[in-house]
Amino acid sequence: MAARGGALLKYLRVNVQAIPTTRNPNKNGLFDLSFNAICRRFSEEVRGTFLDRSEVTDRVVNVVKNFQKVDPSKVTPNAHFQNDLGLDSLDTVEIVMALEEEFQFEIPDSEADKINTINLAIDFISSHPQAK
Amino acid sequence: MASAGISKGEIRYLYRSLLRTTRQFCDYNIREYAKRRTIDAFRQNQNLTDPSAISAAYSDGKAQLDVAKRQAVVYSLYAPKIKTVMDSTISR
Repeated sequence: MAARGGALLKYLRVNVQAIPTTRNPNKNGLFDLSFNAICRRFSEEVRGTFLDRSEVTDRVVNVVKNFQKVDPSKVTPNAHFQNDLGLDSLDTVEIVMALEEEFQFEIPDSEADKINTINLAIDFISSHPQAK
Repeated sequence: MASAGISKGEIRYLYRSLLRTTRQFCDYNIREYAKRRTIDAFRQNQNLTDPSAISAAYSDGKAQLDVAKRQAVVYSLYAPKIKTVMDSTISR
């Protein structure tokens, strides 16, 4: 009985191995740990994902075409809001706000002031992970 | 629209703040009215050249921004239980 119990225990025993805390001995172990912890803490949702550039282009062009004062035939990905589309600075603000609503994220004021062509808008949105 | 007193950047900032605040109203009618009112007011004053008139319009806009921010909070506390047709169709 005891022998059988011992055999059973031996069978059930799980090998325990110490996990090396530092994979690279040259590096500081603490840094490795905190770096991993940071990577883990940001879930996919927080980090977001980048949108496909061609999709962003289509959606941005659509938003601009739907803007009241814009002649839809003039809208191309290279168009400048003020020089090509005849918009003023107030219209540009409105378009950037419409883009925020379309992509459901907030564009900081410092960046929003720089966006004055459709291409710049596409660049910014496709490089921004929070854009949906 | 630019003046010695208030820069175009400040005016754009105020415009953007007002438009952002209008989004926070929970009622469709109030939200759309506030947006329309903001856009109309800036359009109406866009050709102002007199610096004192510009700064008067600017400070009026700032006061309106405070009102809008406060009212967005107040309305959210007394939000109607039934949404308007517009809100229920728009919500995706």
